Amino acid sequence: MGSVKTLNPNADVMGRHAATFMCVNAAKGLHEVMKTNFGPKGTIKMLVGGAGDIKLTKDGNVLLREMQIQNPTAVMIARTAVAQDDVTGDGTTSIVLLIGEMMKQAERYLQEGSHPRVIVEGFDIAKKALLEFLDDFKTPVDASDREMLRCVSRTSLSTKLAPHLVEQLTDIVTDAVLTIKQPEQPLDLYMVEIMHMRHKLDQDTRLVKGLVLDHGSRHPDMPKRVEDAFILTANISLEYEKAEVNAGFFYSSAEQREALVAAERAYTDERCRRVIELKKQVCGDSGRGFVLINQKGIDPLCLDMLAKEGILALRRAKKRNMERLTLACGGFAINSVEELSPDCLGHAGAVYEHVLGEEKYTFVEDVKHPHSCTILIKGPNDHTIAQIKDAVRDGLRAVKNVIDDKAVVLGAGAFEIAAAAHLRSTVKKQAQGRAKLGVEAFAEALLGFVKVLAENSGYDAQDVLIKLQEEQERGSNVGLDIATGEALDPQVAGIYDNYIVKRQIILSAPVIASQLLLVDEVMRAGINMRGK
Amino acid sequence: MAMGMPYGLQAMLKEGHKHFSGVEEAVMKNIEACKALAQMTKTSLGPNGMNKMVINHLEKLFVTSDASTIVTEMDVYHPAAKLLVMAAKAQAGEVGDATNLVLTLAGELLGNAEVLLRDGLHTSEIAEGYQRASDKALSVLESLVLPGTDTLDVKDKAAVALRLRGAISSKQLGYEDLLAPLIAEACIDVVPSNPHNFNVDNVRIVKIMGGALPDSQVVKGMVLKRDAEGSVKCVENAKVAVYAQGVDTSGPETKGTVLIKSAEELEGYSRSEEEKLEQYVKAIADSGAKVIVSGGAIGEMAMHFIEKYRLLALRIPSKFDMRRFCRATGAVAIVKLQAPQPDELGFAKQIEVRELGGANCVVLQQDASLGSVATLVLRGSTEGFLDDVERAVDDGINAYKALCRDARCVPAGGASEIEMARQVADFGKKQTGLDQYAIARFAEALEVVPRTIAENSGLQASEVLARLYAAHAQGQVNAGVCIESGAPKDLAAEGIMDVYAAKWWAVRLATDAVVTVLKVDQIIMAKQAGGPKPRAGDGDDD
Repeated sequence: MGSVKTLNPNADVMGRHAATFMCVNAAKGLHEVMKTNFGPKGTIKMLVGGAGDIKLTKDGNVLLREMQIQNPTAVMIARTAVAQDDVTGDGTTSIVLLIGEMMKQAERYLQEGSHPRVIVEGFDIAKKALLEFLDDFKTPVDASDREMLRCVSRTSLSTKLAPHLVEQLTDIVTDAVLTIKQPEQPLDLYMVEIMHMRHKLDQDTRLVKGLVLDHGSRHPDMPKRVEDAFILTANISLEYEKAEVNAGFFYSSAEQREALVAAERAYTDERCRRVIELKKQVCGDSGRGFVLINQKGIDPLCLDMLAKEGILALRRAKKRNMERLTLACGGFAINSVEELSPDCLGHAGAVYEHVLGEEKYTFVEDVKHPHSCTILIKGPNDHTIAQIKDAVRDGLRAVKNVIDDKAVVLGAGAFEIAAAAHLRSTVKKQAQGRAKLGVEAFAEALLGFVKVLAENSGYDAQDVLIKLQEEQERGSNVGLDIATGEALDPQVAGIYDNYIVKRQIILSAPVIASQLLLVDEVMRAGINMRGK
Repeated sequence: MAMGMPYGLQAMLKEGHKHFSGVEEAVMKNIEACKALAQMTKTSLGPNGMNKMVINHLEKLFVTSDASTIVTEMDVYHPAAKLLVMAAKAQAGEVGDATNLVLTLAGELLGNAEVLLRDGLHTSEIAEGYQRASDKALSVLESLVLPGTDTLDVKDKAAVALRLRGAISSKQLGYEDLLAPLIAEACIDVVPSNPHNFNVDNVRIVKIMGGALPDSQVVKGMVLKRDAEGSVKCVENAKVAVYAQGVDTSGPETKGTVLIKSAEELEGYSRSEEEKLEQYVKAIADSGAKVIVSGGAIGEMAMHFIEKYRLLALRIPSKFDMRRFCRATGAVAIVKLQAPQPDELGFAKQIEVRELGGANCVVLQQDASLGSVATLVLRGSTEGFLDDVERAVDDGINAYKALCRDARCVPAGGASEIEMARQVADFGKKQTGLDQYAIARFAEALEVVPRTIAENSGLQASEVLARLYAAHAQGQVNAGVCIESGAPKDLAAEGIMDVYAAKWWAVRLATDAVVTVLKVDQIIMAKQAGGPKPRAGDGDDD
């Protein structure tokens, strides 16, 4: 290790023991922080940003993202957790906990003189065995079973939100996914718009089968509410566009100038008139409404023309909403006035504007066959909204995962207890030599989940663990009832986790733990060191 | 970076991060900060509440007893205290009144939670207990609704004024008899046929220095603090043409160049411009309009012709004022300078320039039936005083809005709080779990209202409370603190009532904020971003 010092006198080097110590400690430190978040009874963390903005969260992913960790080991773990979130949308806290536990267990053996390589081998054997075990353990489900989807989303949400919100959001999230689900097509969660309003209480969060746009009409005379309306989704510019080439006008009298002004407008006015014609054609005197939602701009003159015809026009709609709109209301988006025809129109039962202080929202509701919907999150302050928003996103992912996997895994710690027992009873016997140690460490680490779950609910970890293990040895699947501290059957309680989440955890946690264990020297000899 | 032997969370975070965890470090500290905040607003509660002098970061002075102003201008930094401030702001957004109640109640609840924590209760048990107690309190509150108040004729000035007195007297004691009828008059003037759609924005407040508060008046229409552009200063029964853009010659969007080859052409060009403009102004005058309102500048040439045709020219640069003006006159804002169609013209009963307090103001007077905008002209001696009155009036208008939606009222003067406290305490005694202690403390916290009212009025708080409890035990559920004698008194009989919705939201939001603060067990603070440091002593004990 002195060699680095010779090459670069500024280098910072840690020897083998120090390096292992640092890795283990960082993993344990992170474990310590995230531990209290885990499970439905976890506590909330308050994150205060540089500008004094407040964020309250129980979500491991959010926590890791906002915490700005600098320790290199901790960063590695945090990145795995973020990858976990990208792949599955859930289980970020779990993965950090598992890595922490694995490092903790490994440390014991290291201190007794085992070589890290031996433990890593054991981890590897255990990992392979567990993946097989998981495939046997999972419960295949019918993806259209609403009750099952609700169970999974409830399990996911209850680890992130207060109990009184969970029930309500469970239904919202499940129904949102079922709404956008189209047979034979992959599920696109982007078709669920998440919109928030700082208004009323968190219990007022609801699912809008339709769309909510966060802007309103820009003309005071436009109708605030239209019913039984045609929806025209368009991407046509209704304002004067400057020519690409540098053009100028030359005139020598006011009349000429007026003529030029008029000619300049004529083109834009013409397009506007085409829209109005279409409105007249489809609406006639029937009193039905007409709504124009345009991705490009509409200038005041055109707005005025449209307002006179009683058309509700929205300009500068977001691009993603254009896609959602056609899915929600039917019809298709047009890109030029030539395409205008009654076929491209969608339909909505009610379109209305809601004003909240300075901000305007437009609701497109009551559509016939929605394939897109909006989850409208309400809350009295920003941090409540942010909290719900993060949870909803995870909930949606959880439901999607079930549909993709067509399988679930029993929750409440049932999988972990069964897996640990399997590792000890079968795998460990099959493993040769000192790799047994690694398998044992992995098995013990898995039980860490149950311990944390019990601790957070205010029970004695060892007590609970023994109780559950005894029950499990009798041959049934048991989980922890956080309300009583006793064993329960997760199947009866309806606690299910995602298959993919568990799989991903088992896949990536041992990899990182192994990598960290195999580190024997930490060097910092970068160019930036020179300044120090 | 800590390269040595990093341990714990602190070592993992970026430099400058702070991190608190556990009951002692996080929860207690949070409670401490929130209590400090509540302590400050507490003395401003009730009709005899004290004023605060707040100087904000722009060196602007506020003298007020309005809690929402105090906390907004104070720029609270402590994260937990900020949660309380957010709850207060949410209250201001929902009902616009009783923000102080949110803060004071939340502070008291947290103070009591501290005692419970020291007794060894777990935060989750306290949170649970508070939640249940607040549910109970709200159901009690509903039963307290004064009979006969659920229906209110929102067009009846005397009845409305009576209801508004409570909201105003807590901000501007002594002026409620003066302000309540004025607010009532202004609100009733603009309330639409479906009172549910009452828009606060339609009642404007214009503050003009000078005179005294009794000189304040309601104008059915608008008052603009600017002069008319031309020499015509007064018109009656006039049609109004409104232009959203400026009144001037229009140019094309593309760059234009005037092409002139000789002196004659130059002269000809100027003349043709003039003629064109005159043609427009004449067309406007011919359409019968006597008033031109412009959203942008009025060109000199245009002004000349406007004078020539004896039109009253008015410039309203604010888009929002413009919309209100359109609403008040029934005019449609025309986007292009052209002769107005008959249906685009508005009507004003009278527009005149008046001198109010040394400044010229344009006053638009309408008949009640025509306009949908009313303006309260407030007069007063100093700017600070006017600002304070404005806030009181704002609260009054918001109270009217709340009345339009939910006219139910509850007894004031601490009567509803005492009754809630009494029943919640009874409820708590029937509980078996550990949360009964939290419920009992919740009940105790509710006492803060009558106690503070009494304290702020210089009365013996404990004695007043005891007498109130006695009265309530005998079934006088409407008995509240009489701020003169301290004796229990049925204030509802004197017409002092609180709006039910305001109380409901206050209890709700305060409990929510408190529960959130209690549930936080760890705080991670990033290094404070650049910019001026918050001043010491503003509720930030960190």
